[in-house]
Amino acid sequence: MFGEIVKGLYTTLKHLFQPPVTVQYPEIKRPVRNRFKGRHELKRYENGLEKCIGCALCAAACPADAIFVEASENSDEKRFSPGERYASTYEINMMRCIFCGYCEDACPTQAIVLEKSYELSFYDRASAIYTKEMLIVDVPVNGRSTPQVVEPGIFNRAIPEMEDPK
Amino acid sequence: MHTNEHTQKAETFIVPIGPQHPALREPGHFEFTIEGEIVTAASVRLGYAHRGIEKGTESRNWVQNLYMLERICGICSHIHATAYCLGVEQLAGVEAPPRAQAIREMVAELERTHSHLLWLGEAAHEAGFETLFMYAWRDRETVMDILEALTGNRVNYSANLLGGVKYDVTGEQASKIEQGLDYLEERTRHYLDVVTSDPVFIQRTRGIGVMTAVQADRLGVVGPTARASGVVRDVRVEAPYAAYTAFPITPVLAQAGDLEARFVVRLRELFESYGVIRRILANLPPGELVLKRMPRRIKAGEAISRVEAPRGELFYFIRSNGSDTPDRVKVRTPTLCNMASVLTLTVGRHLADVPMILVGIDPCFSCNDRGLVLKRGADHEHWTWDRLRQIGLDYYAGERGSGGVGGTSISPAPLPPCPPALLTGMHV
Repeated sequence: MFGEIVKGLYTTLKHLFQPPVTVQYPEIKRPVRNRFKGRHELKRYENGLEKCIGCALCAAACPADAIFVEASENSDEKRFSPGERYASTYEINMMRCIFCGYCEDACPTQAIVLEKSYELSFYDRASAIYTKEMLIVDVPVNGRSTPQVVEPGIFNRAIPEMEDPK
Repeated sequence: MHTNEHTQKAETFIVPIGPQHPALREPGHFEFTIEGEIVTAASVRLGYAHRGIEKGTESRNWVQNLYMLERICGICSHIHATAYCLGVEQLAGVEAPPRAQAIREMVAELERTHSHLLWLGEAAHEAGFETLFMYAWRDRETVMDILEALTGNRVNYSANLLGGVKYDVTGEQASKIEQGLDYLEERTRHYLDVVTSDPVFIQRTRGIGVMTAVQADRLGVVGPTARASGVVRDVRVEAPYAAYTAFPITPVLAQAGDLEARFVVRLRELFESYGVIRRILANLPPGELVLKRMPRRIKAGEAISRVEAPRGELFYFIRSNGSDTPDRVKVRTPTLCNMASVLTLTVGRHLADVPMILVGIDPCFSCNDRGLVLKRGADHEHWTWDRLRQIGLDYYAGERGSGGVGGTSISPAPLPPCPPALLTGMHV
């Protein structure tokens, strides 16, 4: 019995001289994996137009009913996204979201992507609702911000040519 | 002193545990009748975490349900989705490609690894062996990292799709998994040595909660709990699903039936899991990950799908009426099958052994949340559906007769005798 206890204590003593495995979050952040499904982002094309066309397929697919989309008409003088419509309201309730990534699968233009951010905490329920302004990514360096004034007839299709399935 | 002991022996207490209790991390209510220190009767009341998931499935479409059913249990989430997928594929008359089936099996075995290591820590904690608890959970991080790299989530992996899987295993990931398994194998061998040789720990496990093979059969226990009593009950062997015909496992058995045997069986099962994951990684079948076409509406019919969750057999019944939502999904989780054994095994034991016996079945209360288990007065009899219906009829008849307000007097007189402890008509 005594020998066994010494053996056990020796095991714990050995660990005393090993580096600790605890990650000192929030000072030190452990990098997430590539496939990690964190907070959503609404993507843009290189010219700055929004990828989201307001089709609300993500909202229909969502098992948790967390997404609300309202679409409005695009025009060449005030263009947000290619095609007829864009999302004038896009809200995700982060308290309902289960981060399953089904919205990502449902999106025809790959506009919504679950990215790496995971620090989602709020002081009240209202701030759990992420609006389009919070979700959309910054305008790329060579792009212009939306709404854009564009030449008529270029962005008539909701899914631009280069994104067509082969 | 002598007289004091005598009076204590004569006294009978009921010790209620839960639903909120510092020693019980999940909501369940137990009542142990004790005489002195010895438990003489035990009863359980479940349903404190009732979420109405089964009913919820009926208002969501087939794909959405996949994500919801995965969230029945945080520990064995993948296996719930697998059971559901296999059932729906069976109904639709399709079969997932072999590569998808192999990946399903691999994720299931990784999940079993993480579940058993979690349980090892939990059980060690319950026995007061905090060091083992900390070490086991530290090593569990390895498999959690593997799962995160593979599927993107540490829990609720969403690896399954109807008709396939979402994620492929790349060569780089495969070598990472191999590395992780090497480390885990070494650690598991150490833990197996600890739980079978540490004299302090053995005092809490050896000869405690002994369940014979006959008892195990009669109580209908499943999974490692049954296998620790020498009963060969493993769906992976009896009715191979997914890729278990191509990558079989050998069931791990122990004869003793006590808590130590349950530790040994679960830890030795880990070696089986490591072996099968290695075999799958070495011979992953080539091909598609997902079917070209999976119908959105599933043709009418009924399907039963059984899989081996880390805790035992998980049973899904799925009925379709040909629409895009299921007509009925019935889930029977392994903890429900094993719960009866806790009540039987604790009787005659010390109250101090109760937490160990309970943790020995690896209980999962959120898997287990049944509605509708009622208890009548002082006896521990459960009410059957017929009897409840009769009570309801009598109640409303009485209310109408007495003029409505406040008619709460229930007359329990003309009821037929009901069989004891029937758990009927319940929903997850």
